[in-house]
Amino acid sequence: MSINLIDPNKWVDKYSDYLFNYTIVRVNDRELAHDLISETFLAGLKSMKNFKGEATERTWLISILKRKIIDHYRKSNSRKGRAEIKIQYSDDSNEGDWLEENAPDVLDKTAEDVMENEELGIAILDCMQHLTEKQAKIFKMKTIDGFDTEAICNEFNITPSNLWVIIHRARTTLAQCLEKNWF
Amino acid sequence: MSYKKALLIDCSEAAFCCDKAQYKEASVADKLKMLLHLIYCKKCKKYSEKNTKLTELINQSEIKTCTEEEKKAWREKIENEITNQ
Repeated sequence: MSINLIDPNKWVDKYSDYLFNYTIVRVNDRELAHDLISETFLAGLKSMKNFKGEATERTWLISILKRKIIDHYRKSNSRKGRAEIKIQYSDDSNEGDWLEENAPDVLDKTAEDVMENEELGIAILDCMQHLTEKQAKIFKMKTIDGFDTEAICNEFNITPSNLWVIIHRARTTLAQCLEKNWF
Repeated sequence: MSYKKALLIDCSEAAFCCDKAQYKEASVADKLKMLLHLIYCKKCKKYSEKNTKLTELINQSEIKTCTEEEKKAWREKIENEITNQ
């Protein structure tokens, strides 16, 4: 079995999007997710010597992150019930409690939908591991962040046809990888 | 015969049109040429289906990316910690 090595200088580039998506669906707060990931990286650095190389670096970081998320909920649970005031929002005419608010929102996503999307997101990010760093970066900029072709070309100093070749390779690789699980 | 040249495209060009179409950057002519190619090219048809499905999945997945500022903050934290160790 090959031993996995650890290199903290690459953590942010390699894993931050993955860790972030993993966290955001669990805590639903961007700032909090950011802090939890910071704590994860720092905890990772502290316990680097305990990393035996049996799991991949990413699996190992996720296991630390999971702890951090659980700790966060423990803390917020212990604060619960102290002074909880529910505010009914009301406007000038002082009307709140609309009937509509009490009815379930059919457009609201069910927990199952959310879970499926989350797994899908993680599956896609998982597959991005098969791309080169440059491919992944350009693909994400183009597909997820929706940058213009021109803007990306300027940033990476490539021609549009270079860009489309990179996008094509990335899409082929991703489709192949996802085919096993989702198609 | 020039119209034939203009209308009949090879697989790599069809794939290029298909990729552009995923980002809504394909022109009407691009799409037309691609559709024509897909009629007789099974391999490209398959690619086109997969490619479209990939776009759907990505849209469904609601993946978020971290901003550069967020990444920078993490990098700095890690570097600080390493130098302090």
